[in-house]
Amino acid sequence: MDVIEAPAQLLSAVISRSTTIIMLEASFRHIGKNIRRTGSAERALGTAVFSADLEMPSALTLLILRSNRHHAQILEIDVSRAEKVPGCVRVFTARDIPGRNRLGIINKDQRLLADDKVRCVGDPVALIAAETPESAERALTEIRVEYRDLPSVFDPEEALRPGAPEIHEGGNLLGSRFVLRGNPDEAFKHCEVVVEQVYTTGFVEHTYLEPDAGIAYMDEDGMLVIHASTQNPHYDQKDVADLLGIEEDKVRVIQSATGGGFGSKLDMNVQGFVGLAAFLLQRPARMVYTREEAFLATAKRHPLKIWFKSGATRDGRLLAVDVSITGDTGAYASYGLAVVSRAAVHATGPYEVPNVRIESRFSYTNNPMAGAMRGFGVPQVALAHESQMDMLAERLGLSPFDIRLRNCYRIGSTTATGQELQASVGIGATLEAISPHYHEAIAGKEQEKHKPYVRRGVGIGAMMYGIGNTGMRNPSSAQMRLDLNGNVSLFTGAADIGQGSSTVLLQIAAEELNIDPDEISLIVADTMLTTSAGATSASRQTYISGNAVLEAAKKLKDVILTQAATILKTDKAQLVLENGWVHSKTNVVDGVSFKRIAERAHKAGLPLNWQGYFDPDTTPLDPETGHGRPYSTYAFATHLVEVEVDTLTGEVRVLKVVAAHDVGKAINPRNVHGQIYSGVVMGIGFALMEEFFPGRTESMKDYHIPCAADVPQIMSIIIEDPEPTGPFGAKGVGEPALIPTAPAILNAIKDALGVRIYSLPANLERVMKACLVAQT
Amino acid sequence: MDGNMLKIAFQLNGKEVSIEINPEDSALMVLRDRFHLKGAKEGCGIGECGACTILVDGLAVNSCLMLAAQLDGRNVKTVEGLVHQEKMDILQEKFIEHGAIQCGFCTPGMLLSARALLDENPSPDHDSIVEALSGNLCRCTGYVQVVEAVEDAAAERES
Repeated sequence: MDVIEAPAQLLSAVISRSTTIIMLEASFRHIGKNIRRTGSAERALGTAVFSADLEMPSALTLLILRSNRHHAQILEIDVSRAEKVPGCVRVFTARDIPGRNRLGIINKDQRLLADDKVRCVGDPVALIAAETPESAERALTEIRVEYRDLPSVFDPEEALRPGAPEIHEGGNLLGSRFVLRGNPDEAFKHCEVVVEQVYTTGFVEHTYLEPDAGIAYMDEDGMLVIHASTQNPHYDQKDVADLLGIEEDKVRVIQSATGGGFGSKLDMNVQGFVGLAAFLLQRPARMVYTREEAFLATAKRHPLKIWFKSGATRDGRLLAVDVSITGDTGAYASYGLAVVSRAAVHATGPYEVPNVRIESRFSYTNNPMAGAMRGFGVPQVALAHESQMDMLAERLGLSPFDIRLRNCYRIGSTTATGQELQASVGIGATLEAISPHYHEAIAGKEQEKHKPYVRRGVGIGAMMYGIGNTGMRNPSSAQMRLDLNGNVSLFTGAADIGQGSSTVLLQIAAEELNIDPDEISLIVADTMLTTSAGATSASRQTYISGNAVLEAAKKLKDVILTQAATILKTDKAQLVLENGWVHSKTNVVDGVSFKRIAERAHKAGLPLNWQGYFDPDTTPLDPETGHGRPYSTYAFATHLVEVEVDTLTGEVRVLKVVAAHDVGKAINPRNVHGQIYSGVVMGIGFALMEEFFPGRTESMKDYHIPCAADVPQIMSIIIEDPEPTGPFGAKGVGEPALIPTAPAILNAIKDALGVRIYSLPANLERVMKACLVAQT
Repeated sequence: MDGNMLKIAFQLNGKEVSIEINPEDSALMVLRDRFHLKGAKEGCGIGECGACTILVDGLAVNSCLMLAAQLDGRNVKTVEGLVHQEKMDILQEKFIEHGAIQCGFCTPGMLLSARALLDENPSPDHDSIVEALSGNLCRCTGYVQVVEAVEDAAAERES
């Protein structure tokens, strides 16, 4: 391993591994460079237009009457008084929906407006369109709904018992996933140590800073145009068209500047409502969630209960794991099925285990809907597999570091789903990268004994994360265009929600065409102008959309070179692109401009708009054994954490985090570091403070996310073990950044107290309880 | 309702302005809807997140909790007023340079809290910066590059 780049920050570094493909580092002009994030100037100036900032004076204000019942039949909705409120234009109910009243990216089980019944508190029942917010508020109080309460269920295990209240037709089982390898029952008999434990995690709120918002209107051509805060405009377009019973090409969704998403803006939170009102009333309609509404009505992270049994040999080799995962998807599926599978597939962590049995079952309850949230279930299962590793190490007298290094995946390892890992397996490198820091931290801990009631602890967490959707097609497409003036444009449907996908895609295009990124026009996430790039989720845009952009750029480049070869009467192989010109390698003076090439190609009738496409090489998982190729590449990471636990108050201070991530190739190291810092801090919230209690958590007063004062010293280390199928070797980092932090913190608390906490968050109460146990 | 209207006058981003408002209007609402200054954001509406931070007489305040009436006679600055003679504030430049902006929704508030700090204390230490930014929540950046940007802005002004 070589250090190939001076640290971007004092505390951060990039380490490159040249294992499988040879990367000519010096030849990159834009890849691996800290290009400024697109749109950051507008954001600094305050001129970036978020959905709630769009001015449209004639826009109607929309408000939703939401269910105050957990589970109830709707007998009658009386809107007559509400519609008489001055300024109230219309009150819509399910009957007004002209198309199919169903939403949901995987399972179409959500209603835009409740029809026969409500399934949770917060279900939308009626939609008010009014001239002013005041009128809408008044009308809201005038709607009368007659409910007949139905029995409800809030525990996912109870929901599967015979006789449990049925939330959807067909039963309360959302779905299950099984993974089987070898013979775990037999293997456990040969284990020197076996540890068995139950872990639980709670609901977590995404808490993006921008509450959901959108505005819709009919344009002059009769097209319904929706501007919204979204992670997946092309999905929104399809579901809105279905709701309204119109053709998809009559709906145009444009992503506004989006103030974070973390998975929750994959669901249609406002798009259907603004679309319905604007379409039926033929007037612009706006909806802006209050923070309270975002808390009440948007998806949460799935609470999981994980029973985990692992066994190892005397020398610390994992022989078998047996895992049973129960998840609560709440009243609707959202991305639940994806979490069922991903949690199962990732339950062994980044370790090779020859004998595996995993079952994962999620059920519907009358709780709030759970959906996608940064990591899709992996942050929850990582708590379990990483605690288990430490428990095994302790029983065997091994260090947490050694047991991980002994078992981690390598090139040639086979995963629990039977996939052989052939390249870019950087877990070992991330462990090695934190090794000196780990040993330094252990040594430092011994010297810190100044306050008897403050205990220091050191912990490690590791993870793997499959890039893209699990065992299913999830393609992206993109276009590169050369216009007659010689200008280059990049068209991508990939929604940049702040993580910086647009910057990365621009860098990839700029590298291939050897042109300054500022010279490329960028058209992003507008369904009329761009084709689908799939969802901004699953850490997939750099790898998947990056490949689509790269392919489009290569095709355009080839056409440019072919034309230039004719004009310059030079062999194509002798030509190079440079800043919008093509010239021969030996004669840099006599070149031909992109403009001239474009004019010539146009006259000859040659296309100058090229599409790239990429769909990762995956196979569906076998329903019985889970065998298959769920992902074509994986990201890996290890975090080291140092904590201080105040045994008098239960307060845990995270002092330092060293986070090493194998990202394949950092297209933009500064942005990668930014993702890592972000994930670590979200991980601290997940570990220590964040839990959403249905019915109790209503606003930011009841739910605390980390602030600047909660941030420890963070050292971010980038490992580059290039992925041969990735654009310039890149994989992804958005979700991986979050995953190891919480398990590492819990392992550090155990190290400090000698008592282990098995539930997240390790809040003051849980830590105090552990402190009391430690003292007895 | 007109009978209750209240006329206020204040300095907004360097210009004298006056406007008739409802006494119950929040400062944030008046700035966004009446002056069309959309830089200040509503993230929570209850003074927890800091996305609506503005400067009033140089102090960083949550404009969602402040009545517009309280702006009367004051000197008010929003993110739109940070640009001086068509040049960005050093903090804006450093936020961009350090990658301190991801989704950017919290950015205007962060910038103004940082501006208030640097105006009061041109060479703050790390802890003072962290303290000054602790009322501004961010879910994207993990704050590291934000703090670095403010440190760098302070260092540049010193040199």
